[in-house]
Amino acid sequence: MVRLTRRSILRSSLGLAAAGTMARPYIAKAQAKTAQVWWVQGFVPEEDAAFQKLVADYEKQSGNKVDYSIIPFAPMRQKIISAVTSGVVPDLIYATPPEVVPLQAWEDRLVDVTDVVETQKAKILDIALASANCYNNVQKKRSYYGVPFEGAVVPFHIWGSLVEKSGYKVSDIPNKWDAFIDFFKPVQKKLQEQGMRHTYATGFVVSTIGNDPTNTFQQFMIAYGGENIVTEDGQFNGKDPQVHEAVVKAVERLAGLFKDGYIPPSSINWNDADDNNAFHSKLCVMDFDGTLSTELAMLKKQKEELKEVITRGLPLTNDGKRMKPQFGTNCMIIPKGAKNVDVAKDMAKYIIEPKVHAEYLKGGLGRWLPVMPELVKNDPWWTDLEQDSHRPPYVEEGFGGPVLPFYYIYNPAWAQVRAEHPFNVAFHDVTAGGMTSQAAVEKAFKRIEEIFEKYQIKAG
Amino acid sequence: MADIVHTTRTLPRQALAAPRPRRRAWRGHLQGSEYAWALAFCVPYVAVFLAFVVYPVAFGIWMGSEPLLYTTLFSDPIYVRTVVNTALFLGIAINLKLFLALLLSGFFMRPGWWTKALLMIFVLPWAVPALPTYISIHWMLNGEYGLFNNLLYELFGVTGPDWLTARWTSLGSAMVSHIWKWLPFWTVILLAGRMAIPTEIQDAAKVDGATGFRNFVHINFPLLANLYLICTLLSTIFSLGDFNSVYFVTGGGPADSTHVLATLGIRYAFDLAQPRLGVAAVISALPLLIPLVIILMRKFRTSQVEL
Repeated sequence: MVRLTRRSILRSSLGLAAAGTMARPYIAKAQAKTAQVWWVQGFVPEEDAAFQKLVADYEKQSGNKVDYSIIPFAPMRQKIISAVTSGVVPDLIYATPPEVVPLQAWEDRLVDVTDVVETQKAKILDIALASANCYNNVQKKRSYYGVPFEGAVVPFHIWGSLVEKSGYKVSDIPNKWDAFIDFFKPVQKKLQEQGMRHTYATGFVVSTIGNDPTNTFQQFMIAYGGENIVTEDGQFNGKDPQVHEAVVKAVERLAGLFKDGYIPPSSINWNDADDNNAFHSKLCVMDFDGTLSTELAMLKKQKEELKEVITRGLPLTNDGKRMKPQFGTNCMIIPKGAKNVDVAKDMAKYIIEPKVHAEYLKGGLGRWLPVMPELVKNDPWWTDLEQDSHRPPYVEEGFGGPVLPFYYIYNPAWAQVRAEHPFNVAFHDVTAGGMTSQAAVEKAFKRIEEIFEKYQIKAG
Repeated sequence: MADIVHTTRTLPRQALAAPRPRRRAWRGHLQGSEYAWALAFCVPYVAVFLAFVVYPVAFGIWMGSEPLLYTTLFSDPIYVRTVVNTALFLGIAINLKLFLALLLSGFFMRPGWWTKALLMIFVLPWAVPALPTYISIHWMLNGEYGLFNNLLYELFGVTGPDWLTARWTSLGSAMVSHIWKWLPFWTVILLAGRMAIPTEIQDAAKVDGATGFRNFVHINFPLLANLYLICTLLSTIFSLGDFNSVYFVTGGGPADSTHVLATLGIRYAFDLAQPRLGVAAVISALPLLIPLVIILMRKFRTSQVEL
């Protein structure tokens, strides 16, 4: 029997400490070639498989190791905030939601990645570059704190079969904003008369949770002429009468649809995945939801039904002009405190190499758009309706004309506005609180002004 | 065996050593290597305590130590509404739950195999994991395709309310879910309290004609009063940090109108990316929490004497 004594414990401890000290350089050397990466889980397994292949290819080419975790969308935000708050961070992060980038850059918590972006800068869309070019409030200047690598717009998803079941034709759908939305009202009525008691015209998300409510509200606001709500130099432009009127009109329109029963009542509590689920279960005839996630999620269990779904871009504005869609950009970030900035930067450079970039996005079935227009132009996979009836309209929406950025790229204050959802609170003030649209919008603008007060961007 | 070896080896050294009163005071009655062993056994506990209790609490207090955070907090209308919700949640749900538990514990004192069988079924909500059940309740309450409204429609042709789309029905749903989940636990605790009442007292009361309601008022309730109060205090302390029943049933909605402090802290920390404000929201419950803990500790002392 081994007898433990104080001396034996001390001897063993000293031995272990010495061994640890001697092994340290070898451990450090191995660590120096390993990057810890946090990546967001895809909507379909193919997206994760595309990332895993990308990692394997990168490891083979570079000799570096990638220690990655694939994390679902919702917890990712919590993990990123916990990591940057505690200082225990990975080396490379898929930044989601995308407003994480301007918010953390503002706090000087991200590594400047200008050298990474420079490698492909000429090929990347201006709007994607602008999304990564964030203001650092400590250094009082803008720089690249994110590496843009995928984009998205928000298309409409329509159950063509339900439109036809109601007695209309898909070709009857008008192509101007208000008429387009109103088209679905009688469709709902006819379907409900046929016994589809819980099928609603639209699946607009009117809650105060996640991205979808803001994207929906902002598109209404843009449709009514409020696209300049934040100026390019980062100022809130709520005093502009045109913007003010557009916001009031957007609140009134959404509140009207809700009160008249054309939006499912539960939408007031929906999160980002709930409208997808509602659409899949035919709770709504039409949904407005970012990326092709709605369609791709049907590949597993509703593949046949997917043929009944129409994906389409935005209708024209009420005065017949092309409506600008909102183009969102996802970026990779390297948090300050990352142990292997070199490997992280090297991997980020690899991911935005055009060939790798294209292969990764196509591997993910095109849920995300490339940030390099040449990839779309030179590859019929993105635009050929014969291959896929859903992808080309989505690509056309993103690359068919001018687009608008999400406003947080001008000022991170808008990231907080998105998180607080003051316009959706205004909607709630009208629908449940009995406030007038005008008063509700005044209240929302007051709150937004307070938020902008905290984020003063110095010119230049 | 090992202890004997240690003692015999260390005794002569102790005898020869010069008196060192300060070290002895530290060592207590420990001798020689016993002291090292004692330290070795204590170090892991102290390390765990420092790492997982002292450090997180200190870090939390440090995060929420900026006075400006509280100015921001108190000027947020959602925070004010949340404080009201938390007070209502604690005031109504806890008292209703404990009162029902008191009544049900009396019911489960009845003799018979079927009462035991019923008790087994009754404790199931407490035994099953919380999250799936709360999420199920959320779905069951859905106005369009939830179980409750579909049953109402199929059985009575009535279109049920949208439970989770108005503040009061939504908050009420969270309270009922909390009561449903925790009622069995507190019923069993009070049942144990009832079972500890000596049968002689009950028999004597019966002889004096105190049965039914009079027995409850004059015998059972006075004897259970301390336990009941302690249970109420404990439940209030637990429920002040109850995140699940609100977050997974209402999600704090509609329009952030049903948050309690625990869920609002998470909203600030992660949805608004302001972890310090989130911690401040939780810390703001301390003025209620600390007196509750003090009263509870005092009650423990009192009840010990009475029992």
